[in-house]
Amino acid sequence: MFTPYSPTAARPWDLRRVVHLHKRAGFAADWNMIQRDLRDGPDVAMERLLAPQTGETGGTPFEELSRVICDAAVESGSINRLKAWWLYRMLLGPDPLGERLTLMWHNHFATSFTKVEDVGLMRRQNDTFRRHARGAFGELLAASLHEPALLVWLDAEANRQEHPNENLAREMMELFSLGVGNYSETDIREAARALTGWTVNRGAFRLQDAMHDAGEKTIFGQTGAWTGDDAVRLLAEHPAVSGRIAFRICELLLGEGVATESMLAMLAAGLHEHDLSIGWAVATVLRSEEFFADANIGTRVTGPVEFVIGAARALELTAPPPSTLRLAEVTARLGQDLFAPPNVFGWTGGRAWLTSRNLISRANFTHDLIEGKLHPRWTAFDAAAFAAAHGFTTAPERAAFFAQLLLGRSDLPAPLLHLVDDLNRLVAAILASPEAQLA
Amino acid sequence: MFARSLSRRHFLRDSALIALAPSVPVFLGRTVRSADITADGRILVVIQLDGGNDGINTVIPFADPGYAQHRQELRIADDKLIKLNDQVALHPDLKPLAELLDDGRLAIVQGVGYPNPDRSHDVSMAIWQTARFDAAEHKSYGWLGRALDAAPAPADGAPHSILVTDRTPPVALRGRRCSSVAMANLNDLQIRPGASLAATEAANDADDLLAFTRRATLDARSAADRIDDVVQSTAGAAEYPQTGLADRLKTVAQLIKANFATPVYYAIQSGYDTHSTQLATHGKLLRELAGAVRAFLDDLQSSGLADRVLVMGFSEFGRRVEENASLGTDHGTAGPMFLAGAGIHPGLHQAIPSMTDLVDGDLQMSVDFRSVYAAILSQWLRVDPLPVLGGEFAKCELLKA
Repeated sequence: MFTPYSPTAARPWDLRRVVHLHKRAGFAADWNMIQRDLRDGPDVAMERLLAPQTGETGGTPFEELSRVICDAAVESGSINRLKAWWLYRMLLGPDPLGERLTLMWHNHFATSFTKVEDVGLMRRQNDTFRRHARGAFGELLAASLHEPALLVWLDAEANRQEHPNENLAREMMELFSLGVGNYSETDIREAARALTGWTVNRGAFRLQDAMHDAGEKTIFGQTGAWTGDDAVRLLAEHPAVSGRIAFRICELLLGEGVATESMLAMLAAGLHEHDLSIGWAVATVLRSEEFFADANIGTRVTGPVEFVIGAARALELTAPPPSTLRLAEVTARLGQDLFAPPNVFGWTGGRAWLTSRNLISRANFTHDLIEGKLHPRWTAFDAAAFAAAHGFTTAPERAAFFAQLLLGRSDLPAPLLHLVDDLNRLVAAILASPEAQLA
Repeated sequence: MFARSLSRRHFLRDSALIALAPSVPVFLGRTVRSADITADGRILVVIQLDGGNDGINTVIPFADPGYAQHRQELRIADDKLIKLNDQVALHPDLKPLAELLDDGRLAIVQGVGYPNPDRSHDVSMAIWQTARFDAAEHKSYGWLGRALDAAPAPADGAPHSILVTDRTPPVALRGRRCSSVAMANLNDLQIRPGASLAATEAANDADDLLAFTRRATLDARSAADRIDDVVQSTAGAAEYPQTGLADRLKTVAQLIKANFATPVYYAIQSGYDTHSTQLATHGKLLRELAGAVRAFLDDLQSSGLADRVLVMGFSEFGRRVEENASLGTDHGTAGPMFLAGAGIHPGLHQAIPSMTDLVDGDLQMSVDFRSVYAAILSQWLRVDPLPVLGGEFAKCELLKA
């Protein structure tokens, strides 16, 4: 299991696998990226995703512009502008995998602006997820639990020595680290006592000694005068953590039914050996034979944000890009409102993304995108000119080009064949097809 | 022959006769209803109170000495209560529900829970939604999904169930084959002019993801066609409060009034997880709930549709008996459910749980929620409760025969 992939006659390094890699690990690839990765081979292509050149100090022009946009969003107090900023990073940023992982952690530590009601705190938390996205999970967990947004979301302020509030303690065990079945109600009550005194003061974490219960607690059978930090450490050391992180990473990168119990156990064991390094686990899965196996291609439902950003990137709708404020409205209509997951469990994902309403909204989105209605200046996409720019001018060439670019296959699904002479409609119809909802 | 019956059915479906069904002659009425999906056009509307409603401050055991003892800050003053008898009162913000009770349109089932209560939102909600206790089954099929799997397929492409909100349909509605749509309002199911929903190959019954996606795509297209009919044929004139839940129930009423063939609607009212400063929040939520339900029932009644609709309200658990130090309450156990509509035996059902005879500081249940489900399944949805609930449960006498 997790043997590194190397191309064979049965599993060649072909366009299908390049498209697969980018849809799963990023937000789809444009034509030049696909051709480049075909030439450079899997190792180089993989390295670019795993360790992108983002500028060591974050001082690149992209990062500087990103910061300006983000600061303005925070200053405006509009969560919609913060959503637009994040989508802008996904659309134009140098690290698609990093943004996918950031989105995974947003879902894992699902925190909603609807309760936090502070754009600055949501941004802070998002930066933390991004900073630790590939790091050691123990550090991510500790950092996330200290995030004011999360503490507000889970009523940490209400957790005082005289009457512990179990909300934060329960969610940090059930959702953030261990999963149901790996702790007792006593562990939760005792951890809640350890967490007393954790508060938010002027947008920053603050330990209020006077509210802290300094007495002895027994968590997971270990007794001591545990503080909140001790409780977090005990969580990170718990053997069940690696299993939950392995599950999250396989949920992100593998198709339906691909991750077997033994694969999850093996990845969990590896995580345990590698200090819960998220980057190690992501690289291990992405480089594996299992990742490039036929059973893993086209067997995962593409989430709304991946779908929307992927369509725009593949069609090179980046100069000028569509209005990311409008794209944020679109992802919400498709069922994924950034910074507003439905509850502490995050988005259900998988088949649950494909409700009628969401599919209708996906069809409306592909139409609007191609017709230019999401662009600030209503610039319609010109599919013929786009295909010609890449050297495809005859009808069969164009059909094959769009099938390859958008679906990773050389032929169009049969129900779309009648549209080959109506190129803009064809592109919208490909994007709305059942095949395009999967990757 | 085939063409004639089809066009006749379309004539009936499209005509105003449908909305007037109860007043048209019996022979014609029967023909109209045969165009419905369900045999008798019965509809269940579920309202999920999300977060764990404080049942103690909803249906209040004001005469129980435990109430004053455990609820010092959160106690509702005696002179504000809507007393139903010398033991039990409704929260003052539930006045519209008290009126429904007087009017014979509301039943309250007290102390509803299940054995060995779980205090996790996720787990307890999954138990209520799936009627299963094995965590491995909590993400598979829900009780309504299983019931709808056993019901005939809705005509004209209507989905089996509609979640009227922005969220993902809950597991309660998930079945192996039945379809569920989530929508915030009717606009959400309309395909924009010029846009075309996916062209797809014929769907088969296979369980693989592509077959599923094709079926979902066909479902979506059928749903969109239905909604276009609905929007053109509906004029909503009833008075609803300006609240989120009222908006959602109004959407449900519009769909029902337009003879939308969906048998189950699901609405969620969030915010009941009142760990701190509960009083004002809880009162606002109950006011929203009661006002919305009252308006909805009145709307259906004035449209002559009241006989067809049953409303069921539930929450994943009640809250702890003892209030916490942040003027709130933590996760507890049993709580009240309510059923509303013309087909119910009105009034209070089951014993209200004692606030002094506690287990680990929590209320003891009076009745298992599956006994309430059993009544709804067998008497309203006309589905055998045994496979849905995975066991035999004595049904509560809540619904008229």
